[in-house]
Amino acid sequence: MSESAAAFQIELTVNGHRRAIEVAVHHTLLDVLRDDLGLTGAKECCLVGECGACTVILDGRTVDSCLVLAVEADGSEITTVEGLADERGLGPLQQAFLDKGAVQCGFCIPGQLLSAHALLADNPHPSLPEIQEGLAGNLCRCGCYRQITDAVLATAERAER
Amino acid sequence: MHTFAYARPTLLAEAVALLEAHGPDARLLAGGTDLIIRLRDGSARPGVVIDIKRIAELRPSIREEAGCLVIGAGTVMTDIAADERVRRSYPALAEAAAVVGSVQIRNRATLAGNVCNASPAADTAPALLVHAARVVAVGPAGTRRIPIDGFFVRSGVTTLARGEIVTAIELPPPDRAMGAVHLRRTRRRGHDLASVTLCCGVDATGVTRIAYGSVGPRPVLAVDESGVLADPTAPGAAKEAIFERLFADASPSPRSMRASPDYRLAMLRVLGARALRIAIDRLAQA
Amino acid sequence: MSATRIGASPNRVGGIDRVTGRNEYAADIRLPGVLEARLVALDCARARIISIDASEALRVPGVRLVMTAADLPQPVPRFGPQFEDRPVIAVGETKYHGEPVAIVAAETKDAAEAAAGLVHVEYEELPAVFTLAAALDSAAPLVQEPALRPNDRLASTNVLREHRIGWGDVDAALADVVVENRYTFPMVTHFAIEPHAFMAAPDGDGIAVWSTIQHPNWLQKVIAKVLGLPLSKVRVFAPDPGGGFGGKQHAKLEPLVAFAALRTGRPVRLVLSLEESFQAARRASCEVRVRTGVNRDGALVFEDIAADYLIGAYADIADRVVGKGSYPAAGPYNVPSVRILARSVLSHTVPSTAFRGFGNPQVNWAVESNLDEAARAIGMDRLAIRLRNLAKKGDAFIPFDTPADGDWRQAVERAAELIAWDTPLPPGHGRGLAVGIKSGPTTGLSYSTVRLLGDGSVIVLAGTSDMGQGARTVFAQIAAQELGAPLDWVTVVMGDTAIVPYDQQTSASRSTVLMGNSVLQACRSIQGQLAAMAARLHGLDEAQVIVDQGVVHLPDRDLSVLDVLTRGLGRLGGELTGNGEVRKEADPSHPLSGAAAFFEFNCTAVEAEVDEETGDIVIVKHVTVSDVGKALNPLQVTMQDEGAAIQGLGHTLMEHYIYDEKGRIRNLGAIDYRIPTSMDLPLELLSEAVENEDGPGPYGSKGMSEGALLCVASAVGAAVRDATGVAIRDLPLTPERVWRALRDRPMP
Repeated sequence: MSESAAAFQIELTVNGHRRAIEVAVHHTLLDVLRDDLGLTGAKECCLVGECGACTVILDGRTVDSCLVLAVEADGSEITTVEGLADERGLGPLQQAFLDKGAVQCGFCIPGQLLSAHALLADNPHPSLPEIQEGLAGNLCRCGCYRQITDAVLATAERAER
Repeated sequence: MHTFAYARPTLLAEAVALLEAHGPDARLLAGGTDLIIRLRDGSARPGVVIDIKRIAELRPSIREEAGCLVIGAGTVMTDIAADERVRRSYPALAEAAAVVGSVQIRNRATLAGNVCNASPAADTAPALLVHAARVVAVGPAGTRRIPIDGFFVRSGVTTLARGEIVTAIELPPPDRAMGAVHLRRTRRRGHDLASVTLCCGVDATGVTRIAYGSVGPRPVLAVDESGVLADPTAPGAAKEAIFERLFADASPSPRSMRASPDYRLAMLRVLGARALRIAIDRLAQA
Repeated sequence: MSATRIGASPNRVGGIDRVTGRNEYAADIRLPGVLEARLVALDCARARIISIDASEALRVPGVRLVMTAADLPQPVPRFGPQFEDRPVIAVGETKYHGEPVAIVAAETKDAAEAAAGLVHVEYEELPAVFTLAAALDSAAPLVQEPALRPNDRLASTNVLREHRIGWGDVDAALADVVVENRYTFPMVTHFAIEPHAFMAAPDGDGIAVWSTIQHPNWLQKVIAKVLGLPLSKVRVFAPDPGGGFGGKQHAKLEPLVAFAALRTGRPVRLVLSLEESFQAARRASCEVRVRTGVNRDGALVFEDIAADYLIGAYADIADRVVGKGSYPAAGPYNVPSVRILARSVLSHTVPSTAFRGFGNPQVNWAVESNLDEAARAIGMDRLAIRLRNLAKKGDAFIPFDTPADGDWRQAVERAAELIAWDTPLPPGHGRGLAVGIKSGPTTGLSYSTVRLLGDGSVIVLAGTSDMGQGARTVFAQIAAQELGAPLDWVTVVMGDTAIVPYDQQTSASRSTVLMGNSVLQACRSIQGQLAAMAARLHGLDEAQVIVDQGVVHLPDRDLSVLDVLTRGLGRLGGELTGNGEVRKEADPSHPLSGAAAFFEFNCTAVEAEVDEETGDIVIVKHVTVSDVGKALNPLQVTMQDEGAAIQGLGHTLMEHYIYDEKGRIRNLGAIDYRIPTSMDLPLELLSEAVENEDGPGPYGSKGMSEGALLCVASAVGAAVRDATGVAIRDLPLTPERVWRALRDRPMP
């Protein structure tokens, strides 16, 4: 049956770690990641799903975490930018972003990386227009778009066909 | 964001009961890409938010039933745009679903949600109108099928009754070959709300169906059964006269900051003519 | 030479933290016991505040403070970089939509937000001005109290200041052809993806302030003054901003947050929404009337330019933007007679401030577009007229300023070559080419300290803000180059006024030149100390030892810096410290208080395709060539140029504030204020740098972060004009505006 309360107990698997946490029902996944779990890689900017700074991967797909209530994510697997590197170091996309000069101020980069990551998971060898379309939901005001798409292309080229 | 009670029913009947009990104080939450913006800006202040994503009957699915393609209420735009059957038989719908917001939005936004918001600018509405889709709603009185043209009233208002929940959108069998296309106008090439959104379908009998949105309080369907529009050899003046009739219901608001009425009306004609050419070509290739 | 040093493009310093989410931006910092703040603003631009009732808000559980002007020292302190006209919080009257009348601080964001909605303000809306025409009307209400500008004849008008520059005699000049037109440039906003964020906390007998600020030392002075504290009791932390572009140069709400922290005795944090950031900073809109006089042979005879900039309700740095931005309006040409009158006009709108290009793009749009019209009027090629008049290196093209400091022709010819200027075009396509020039910093003061530690690693202390331009990387490259350390052994410390020595500001593309020279000087001081050490260790004369690029050259052999350092420091170890000080003093006799340290020069060339039915513009090819002196880090130069080009396409094609009749921004926020996405790029984007090592910065570098934005609109507008035959003189070139202009064009 349905539940109804101002606070709600949920379980999330964040970057491979199971987390049980009580959340307010009106708090978004972005609020909970940043304020309750201390994962500040997801950024807060427009809060209307336009800029993509808060992008995370939820059950394999990118979402704007500002437009997902934390309770909706109950039972989900979430990848944030903090989950892209491991003890061996940066992932290939992260390194390509640095090599290609895709990072200026860096504020949009967590979201860009997660969108790129999900795009390549779905489509390992995307065309340039597919990359541009796939990353259009992540605004970069420094205007690194060409370098970002270069980094995604380079990562795809290095991946096995 | 103000707080509210959150309900997460697992059965459709529970959701119907909740909706019936709370009436306008309840809001359904599917993808949330519109609702959460409105909860945050205070333009929606429901006491109860009913999350329908755990309801077994509403799980994401695109299935064939009695020749119809049935898109379950929980199905998101990404899956509709990628579905082979949609792309083959209802390509304009796939095209429309593919331009709703960004990837992140399309991964959450549902077709049912897009329809229930009844935004005049909803990109999927014209394609659903051209394809004569039906909205399947379940309520206290049982199930009913509402032709999509009888569903939209004005922005945010539909003909759903108290307690009714949309469970699916049904696309009738493509019994006649149709060439169809979706086109839109935006302020940039990246994702944007449409200042005109339009779908044109031409079928093998020469009937042309044009539906358009963002130029009035609700999306409009207009049909040319004369065969003139579909006839590439028909004189331009005859076609223009028909276009004028088909677009007569467009009444864009002068209050909008996205585009002026005269530009929208002009673009309606440009998109209409372009869409007609593409639809005829697609029909010929089909 | 190592691939990490000057002229190479190593990975950005701080890059790993940025791709792993570890980089701490201002809003990511967590202090124990922090109170969350929210602002209370009114639903109109200008209003008289009758009363503010906070009683209901104070009853919200967790609310610790509701503060208004009445709770501050009286008179309420005012601040501002040019005029101290901006109160800490609205006093008696609001002057623009979004100006806070109260601040709420609470234990949680939820409580602060709920309480902010329960602060009841009784107010009376007052007549207000939102446009140049309204502000300049003789019956217009005054934005600023005349008492703030005693003895100023303009104080009874909304004109804050007039700036007059000129030479020759425009009225007496005789030109074969005179072309006159009027151009407008819209209000646009920075839209850094990081909204402004501020935090303050009591710190012993002083205060600590965190801010997304570009100028931490300016902020330190502002806070010290409004709180009546010595500078030593104000510690400003300035984490690397997530994009600045000028919008974060000067103090905004930090004084308010500081008062809230002192009043509650707790840390207080205010993170603005994107909407509130739109209400915190914008670029001035502008209307320019330009008369260009030209002879049949293409020689420019005069430029007569009148530019009215619509600034906001408080001056911020906007009047300096007007004065400095309009100053080189006649362009990088030898023009015998020039008259420029620029006015900063106050209005009840968001205070405008610095924005990449600093007032230049507005006049460039008018003057470069009009030069095209002049070329057409005399039947001359648009590239040829530019080359005909372009200042040669050393020409005093602005008579009382730094002479032309580059071979600018190279950039123009290269851009023309890359856009294939003289080749045929498909129907519906057109080309445009424009040049941009901007006066670099006119004053400056940058201190730095470099510490060569006992193991050969290096700490650079530099007060520049790295907001994406890559200053950390460039300073680390300079230190690595000079002291022989690997790049990842160099740490650059910025953004803490208690530790890092004074830097005037991060603006005007100055940091590579001014702070770069300061860091270089500090490194050279260490090199001198190393030379003395080596001389002592080897019984040589100091003059016999040369330290260069990390190597200690003795007459008979070369030693590594580390070898000399280790032996020289001896058993106790220690370090060598060098200080840098680069000072460019003000010149009171100069109209800008100082000649340009350098000029930024750029040539942009564009091929565009116009869909005449819809008004859509597709940028088929965008070429941008900047004279950078020397690219210390070529990849970062490309990123700056391309980023500036794309930002310029924003105000060219889609960006503008739309105001309603109450002075509220209708397209407030990301849904209806459109900026370019990855799908809005030119189909082809090419950037190149001219490198003649003729700049005043380290290794011959010049500042370069703004150049590629200056003339984007002019080049695109020219391409649209070329493609369609219609000159559109208002930006942005939205599809609707282009469509309308084409519809309304006179039939041939």
